[in-house]
Amino acid sequence: MDQGLVIPEDTRDATKWGLSPRQLGRIQGLVVSGFGHLPVTRALFLKLDRPGGGWLKALEKVAPITPATGRLNRSTAIAFTCAGLKRLGFSDTADIPAFALPFREGMHQPDRRRRLGDEEKNGTVIPGGPLWSGDPAATPQTVHVLLLLYAADEADLADWCAQVMATLEPAGVSLVRHLDLSLRLDPDGRAREHFGFADGFSQPVPYLAGPDSADPGGGHAARDPWHGVPMGEVLMSYTNAHDEAAPAPIVQRPADIAAKHPDLKPGGAPEGFLDLGADGSYLVVRELRQEVAAFWNSLDVAARTLGCPGIDADWLADRIVGREHDGDLLCPAGAHKTVNGQPANAVGFFREDFHGLGCPLGSHVRRANPRDGLAATEADRSALFNAANNHRILRRGRKYGETIANRLEDDGKERGLLFMCLNTDIVRQFEFIQQTWLLNRNFAGLYGETDPLLGPKGPFTIPKDPLRLKVEVETYVKMVGGDYFFLPSLPALKFMADLT
Amino acid sequence: MSISVFEDDHFDPLLVIEANFDGPQGPFWAQLEAAIGPQLREILRYCERPAGRTGETFDLITRPGSKHPLAPFLEAHTVTPMIFHQGNRGLDRRRIDREAELFFAAQETLGNGARYHGVDAVTLHRTLRSSLRGTFDWLGEPEPVRIPGRERLADLAKLAGFAMVALLVLSFPGVLLALIVPNGWVVVSVSLLAALATGRLIKDLPDLFRQFSGSAPAPESGPPPRMRDAFARDAMKSAGSTVGFVRLALAAALFLAVYVALAATVFGALVAPLTPAPFGETIAASARVFALGLSSVPFSLCAILLWLRRLEDRDPCHDDPAVRPERLQDMMRREDFIAQNHMGSMVLVKPGLLRAVLIRAGLSGLALILRVVATSGYLGSMRTIHFAHWAMVGNGSRLMFFSNFDGSWESYLDDFIEKAHGGLTLAWGNCVGFPPARFLSLEGATHGRKFKNWARHSMATTLFWFSAYRDYTVNQIERHARVASGLRQPTLSPEEAIAWTRDL
Repeated sequence: MDQGLVIPEDTRDATKWGLSPRQLGRIQGLVVSGFGHLPVTRALFLKLDRPGGGWLKALEKVAPITPATGRLNRSTAIAFTCAGLKRLGFSDTADIPAFALPFREGMHQPDRRRRLGDEEKNGTVIPGGPLWSGDPAATPQTVHVLLLLYAADEADLADWCAQVMATLEPAGVSLVRHLDLSLRLDPDGRAREHFGFADGFSQPVPYLAGPDSADPGGGHAARDPWHGVPMGEVLMSYTNAHDEAAPAPIVQRPADIAAKHPDLKPGGAPEGFLDLGADGSYLVVRELRQEVAAFWNSLDVAARTLGCPGIDADWLADRIVGREHDGDLLCPAGAHKTVNGQPANAVGFFREDFHGLGCPLGSHVRRANPRDGLAATEADRSALFNAANNHRILRRGRKYGETIANRLEDDGKERGLLFMCLNTDIVRQFEFIQQTWLLNRNFAGLYGETDPLLGPKGPFTIPKDPLRLKVEVETYVKMVGGDYFFLPSLPALKFMADLT
Repeated sequence: MSISVFEDDHFDPLLVIEANFDGPQGPFWAQLEAAIGPQLREILRYCERPAGRTGETFDLITRPGSKHPLAPFLEAHTVTPMIFHQGNRGLDRRRIDREAELFFAAQETLGNGARYHGVDAVTLHRTLRSSLRGTFDWLGEPEPVRIPGRERLADLAKLAGFAMVALLVLSFPGVLLALIVPNGWVVVSVSLLAALATGRLIKDLPDLFRQFSGSAPAPESGPPPRMRDAFARDAMKSAGSTVGFVRLALAAALFLAVYVALAATVFGALVAPLTPAPFGETIAASARVFALGLSSVPFSLCAILLWLRRLEDRDPCHDDPAVRPERLQDMMRREDFIAQNHMGSMVLVKPGLLRAVLIRAGLSGLALILRVVATSGYLGSMRTIHFAHWAMVGNGSRLMFFSNFDGSWESYLDDFIEKAHGGLTLAWGNCVGFPPARFLSLEGATHGRKFKNWARHSMATTLFWFSAYRDYTVNQIERHARVASGLRQPTLSPEEAIAWTRDL
């Protein structure tokens, strides 16, 4: 499950994409880094019992939200559902409509649920339906705020969480649910998700595009040829893949209030307009439960059913994911060689593996990012590659639950992944990937099958010469809850703290 | 087939029945009436009585208890699209169903594939063919040609004819000049100078040339260069080598010669009775005039572009038209249930003489080019369109678009934006509120979000929709066709067999 567990010492974070210290000081740290140096995390799902943003001032004293500059031994990130914004004091008629429609509707709007494949009949949701979201009509638990606390060790995290909750509860904030996330690195320095796959290697690399002039002092970050995306794909108000400033919520306030927030005044706009989105983003959160023992047992059965020499559960799992356990992309010759100790990532599929004989056409990594693999001819390659890069997301997920002792034995414990990703156009980025690639029954010329890892039960084709193999795969990943969150910039957060 | 009602502040609601079918129109309407006649009659009763000649027929068919046939009335109100694209061209419904059945029977036989481990492709083909021959006796018949030679020739001839008419119109200033000025060299130099002078007035003309000239060849490895348009690649492919260039130049010269000869003959034949000169001389004189006239084509083009750019710079856009939330919900509620989706849209055409001419010329030209180019069942790198067409309605004041496509609406529009924005801008750029374009081909639809908003705003909810094969994408139908085509062959060479098994 390609989920963006963060690699420590991520060299790409050091460059900060050519953003200047001034810009980085406005951006939440989570955007530019997954806090790889802080291995333990607690995700606090909060509910606001009282209107207003005063509690944010209290929070600032115990857990200030981390900016994108430098490293700290404790880091914090915060994001809000639409219901949370309303509870803070945003006006339903004047302010909320400025936010993107999917965010306002939420992940559980019935048509959206259908498009995202989150219907119970698919078996991709936990029995009884999702537990939590920002929508009281959709799920039993309502979440207004997601607060992520990153720390260096468990003891520190426990102390800190107690301190934070002791501060928040008197201010009218209650804890709805929490998850302990971790970044347990294996001896080889790679993080593996619960099925055992090293992952998080392929991320978009934002660069300043179009009229976004890099601030002096920001340095210059060249566009990564394979994974470069315009900054506006992950941060609002910067130029995005459509060559325009990524749409951001702009609200109107009387002159005296607006004057208190000079940092939020959009360039060239008349008096009284505040850009709450600039340097912020939308955070997609999905809690995905993984049934590890069921996964491996069913693959054992599938391998036995095939009965081909040399094909076992591990071989099938590699094909399902599209990578080897250590994270190396499959190719017809086996797997791509590592580059500087990291799995090779500057590779396409069109020339290397057109028919999917190495990395199957329907494997999870090919569906999640087809690169140039959807091109039918050499002439289409650049158009299709550029098109695919218009649908990238920056992943910031972490796993929860302990590693299974024996992968064939169900120990009854819950484990999985808190999938998190950043994007500015939820429909064009996250939802597109989910609907048009992962769950598309006709992806890349296949018929009647979806993503073998995340999709509903069904067939999975493994191309081979002269004839493909087909295995029936079950659903081992189930959605427990999730929603779309607004991840504000630090100046916007100050504005929110003043709301009543 | 679809039924929708277009509502707008500018006109009364318009009921549209859109149909994509095999064969001629007459039998289709009769069959439709046989299938859903009473319901259609009931729907028609909601409509205004049309003014004009069909009013009386309308009265006849909507009378209480009427049994009067609907087909003639429906046929009288039919509009043929100016431009259409058919995916899977040359495959009719029956063949699509038949080949799908064969494909699934083959899948059934092959199972999970483990049994064929280690069998070579040629043997696999032979085994499969012999096991399916019994059930599918049509495998022994010769394969019907998808696009008959005659149809192909007709398409080419129409496109050539269109190009000639365009040349004739564009060379009009030169023809006039050649009639007045006896010295040919003067005509040519004046025309070219005029073109130069006009061209200089268009500030961003170089951008247009850059669009149509390719960049460096693609690298051997690594990511492809970021190119903005498919047109550039096509131009690069055809003009890539010297041989290609020479061929292209020869073809162009031949085409121009044929054009001059044709124009001179037709014109000569027309004026010969009016002049005392012998017929041969008249023809020669007209040939000279038409040949010289060609030298003014660059000038005419520049003049049109200059005029167009002036308009484009001042055209109002509609960046963020408000879509009524309930209408949007209405559409969303109906989308994404099967492999395909449907959309219908109606927009106003921009006013003025130039726009009126350009929209017709652009759509007809694009239509003819599509017929010649899109023969593989796909539309360039967009492989998701079953049927798409534009039609002008309301005396040319509105442009109606319908499409049956694979996948979600968002991904379809993204395809437009990422892969076909040039053609889209040409087709829709003459309509009110379209995102800002230059030269009717640059930008426009690349303003992705604005274009999506504009498109969504122009749409009507599809109230009724029927798809003959709900689960098949264009791609899948082509795949069935390839598998069937292989199975029709008694034997395949090893290379053919390997390529063929990849579709199984």
